[in-house]
Amino acid sequence: MSIPLKLAVVGGGPSAFYVVSRVLQQLPQNSALGARLRVHIYDRLWAPHGLVRYGVAPDHPEVKNCTSKFDETAHDPRVRFFGNVNIGAAPINPSPDVTNLPLSSLLPHYSHLLLANGCPTPRVHPALSLPSSVCRPALDVVHWYTSHPASAGPPDLSRTEHVTVIGHGNVALDVARILLSHPSRLEPYDVPNAVLDILRTSRVKHVSIFGRRGPLQASFAPRELREMMSLDDVSFTPLSQDIIERSESEINAVEKISEPQVAGGQTLGIGTGYSRAQKRMFNMLKSGSKAHYGTTPKTFSIEFFKSPVGLEYSSGPHSVSLKLSHTTLDSPGPNARAVPSGEFSTIDTDLVLPSLGYIPDSSFFADNLSSSWIATPGLSHVRNNSGRIVDTEGNLIRNAYVSGWAASGAKGVLARTVEDARVVSSAIVEDYTKSSTGDSVDDQTQSSVLSTSPEITLDSIPSEVQIGLERGAVTTYEDWKQIDAEEIRRGQEEVVIGDLKKERQRMDWSSAKVFLSDVRDKTATSSS
Amino acid sequence: MHGGINRPEPGTGLKVHFKDSKGNHIKTVEVNEGDSILEIAHEYDIDLEGACEASLACSTCHVILPPEYYDLLPEPGDDENDMLDMAFGLTDTSRLGCQVIMKKELDDIIVTLPAATRNMYVDGAKPTTH
Ligand SMILES: Cc1cc2nc3c(=O)[nH]c(=O)nc-3n(C[C@H](O)[C@H](O)[C@H](O)COP(=O)(O)OP(=O)(O)OC[C@H]3O[C@@H](n4cnc5c(N)ncnc54)[C@H](O)[C@@H]3O)c2cc1C
Ligand code: FES
Repeated sequence: MSIPLKLAVVGGGPSAFYVVSRVLQQLPQNSALGARLRVHIYDRLWAPHGLVRYGVAPDHPEVKNCTSKFDETAHDPRVRFFGNVNIGAAPINPSPDVTNLPLSSLLPHYSHLLLANGCPTPRVHPALSLPSSVCRPALDVVHWYTSHPASAGPPDLSRTEHVTVIGHGNVALDVARILLSHPSRLEPYDVPNAVLDILRTSRVKHVSIFGRRGPLQASFAPRELREMMSLDDVSFTPLSQDIIERSESEINAVEKISEPQVAGGQTLGIGTGYSRAQKRMFNMLKSGSKAHYGTTPKTFSIEFFKSPVGLEYSSGPHSVSLKLSHTTLDSPGPNARAVPSGEFSTIDTDLVLPSLGYIPDSSFFADNLSSSWIATPGLSHVRNNSGRIVDTEGNLIRNAYVSGWAASGAKGVLARTVEDARVVSSAIVEDYTKSSTGDSVDDQTQSSVLSTSPEITLDSIPSEVQIGLERGAVTTYEDWKQIDAEEIRRGQEEVVIGDLKKERQRMDWSSAKVFLSDVRDKTATSSS
Repeated sequence: MHGGINRPEPGTGLKVHFKDSKGNHIKTVEVNEGDSILEIAHEYDIDLEGACEASLACSTCHVILPPEYYDLLPEPGDDENDMLDMAFGLTDTSRLGCQVIMKKELDDIIVTLPAATRNMYVDGAKPTTH
C-alpha cells in the first residue's frame, strides 16, 4: 500500500485555504486517492484567515468576501483547523493558551507538509532606531486597528500632528488613510470601538509618505491611490513641477527604447516599459486630490527621491527630526535603482512609521530541520521550485511544499496568492498521483523529513494539540464560525447612523475564550 | 460552487465559448441574458476565481475578449480599470468577468482565460562557490 496524503499546513491564511481548496477539488472524496486525503491547518493565532482578518484595511470589506470560499474549504470533512498552535522551534507568543509545537513533534504524524506561514516580520531600517513612541513599524498600526493578538498597543495620536510613513506600497497608503479618515467614516466598518475612541482624540493633520524612487516606480495599487485622492476633508500637496518634468522625460526616454517591443504586441504592462498601472497612477498624482489643496483641515504628501539616513529627538515643535538623503535614478525604467545624489535635508515630525516590506519569521527557521530551507542572504522567502521546497544544497525535500508569501516573498495582492495556489496545488497532486502509481517522483536528490509509513494513522493529531483542544485553548473552525456569527451579531446591535449597522464587533482572545466556554457549557447542559 | 443562475432550455439560450490561455476550446455553454461571465463560469465549472464575489475588489475574474465583442460593451470605468491594472497578462481587450453581462449582441462570444501560471520563484541548486 502506498502512503496516504496526510497534509500538515503551517499557517491558516489565504494561501493555505486556496491551495487546500484546489487539492480537495482535484482529489474528490469519492475517488480512491481522495479518500486517503486529510488536511490539518495550524495557525498560531486563534482565528483563521491570516492577513485577510489581521491585515486588510477595515474600509475594504469587499476584499474579505474571499472568506466564504475559505468556509467552504474548511467545511470538507477531510479538513480540520487548529488555532492557537505555533509551529516551530521558538515559542513566540507569550499567551498561556498558545500551544508551542516543534516541527519534530508535528512531522511524525504527517506524510506531507505545506508551509503557508507568510512573511510576518517587518523589515527594519538601520537608520531608524528610536523608541516606539516616536518610531515603529507601520505594521504596528495595522495590528492595532485590527486587534491583532500580538498588537504592541495604540500609537499616541493625541500628541501627534505630523506623521511620516516610509515606503511607497499599499500598506503605507492603508495606514495613512486610516489615520487621516474622519472616525465617522470608519464607524460602520470592522473597526473596534477602542480604536475609534483613540482616533477621535487624534490630532493628526498631515501625513508625508516618503520613497527613495520616483512616481513611476512606486508600488501602490491604483485603487488605493484613488481612494487617497478622494477622501473627504483631506487634500494632496501637489507634485512639484520638477518631479513632474523628471517623470515625463523618463516616460519619453523609456518609450523610445521599448517602442519596437510594444508596437505590434497586444500585451500591456509587460516588458521594459512602464505598465499601464504606473502610467495611470502618475496621471492621478499629477491631477491631485478631489479636495483642493489649501481648503481642507488635513493634508498628505507623497515625497519622492528621498531615503532616511538618521533620526533624532528634536527640540522644535515636533518630537523628532528625520534626516533624508536625496537620490536620483541610475537609469530610467520601472526597475531603476535609487542612488544618492549627495544632497541632504531634514524634516520635523512626530511619528515615523517605516513600511518597507516583510520577511519570513526567522525564529521558525531556527529549527535544525528547517534552517536550510530559507533563502540566504536576505531571508526573503523559502527556497522552492514551483512550490516544492529545496534546501541550500539543492535537494528537494520530499513531500514538503511552500505557498503564498512564504514562497514568493511579501509581494502582491490576493490575486497573486490565488495564482500561486494553482502551481502549488498541482505540484502536490501531481507528485502524490505519481507516487501512488509507484512512479519515481524525480531523480533530483531528495531528502525526507516526513513520515513515509503507509500505516500512518489518517486521523491522528499530536498529543499536545489533543490536550489543547480539551483545555479549550486550541480552537477549531467550528469555534471560529461561532465567534464569527457572534461578532456580526454584536455589530448589528450597534446602530451607526440611520438604520446603518456596524459590520461586526471584533473580539479579542480573552472575550472569545469566555464566549466559547459559555457556548460549551450551554451545549453540555442542553444535551444532558 | 455554482453560479446561482438558471440554465436555459437547451437550444434557446445565448452561447458562450470558453477557451484556455493557449486558445484551446474548453466548452461551449448556453446562458440567459443578464448573466455575468463570472456567474456563468461558476455555473459550468470553468476555473475562474472571483475572490471578491463581483464587488470590483480583486482581479481574479479577469478574462480576455475578442476585439469585436469588446467594442460592444460600455467602456470600463475607473474602478474596473484600477483592478484590471493588477491583473496578470493584461491586454487591450481585457475585462473583469463579473462586469461583463450577457446581452443578445454578445451571443457566440469567445471568452479566453488569461495565462494562469506566472513563474513562481525558482531556487535552483546551491550556487557554486569557488
Ligand atoms: C497590511 C496588509 C494589507 C493588505 N491588504 C490587501 C488588500 O486590501 N487586498 C489584497 O488583495 N491583498 C492585500 N494584502 C496582501 C495579502 O494579505 C497577501 O497577499 C496574502 O495574505 C498572503 O497570504 P499568505 O497566506 O501567504 O500569508 P498570511 O496571510 O500572512 O498568512 C500566514 C498565516 O500563517 C500564520 N503563521 C505564521 N507563522 C506560523 C507558525 N510558526 N505557526 C503557525 N502559524 C503561523 C499566521 O498567523 C498567518 O495566519 C495586504 C497585506 C498586508 C500586509
Ligand atoms: S470577482 Fe473580484 S473583481 Fe470580479
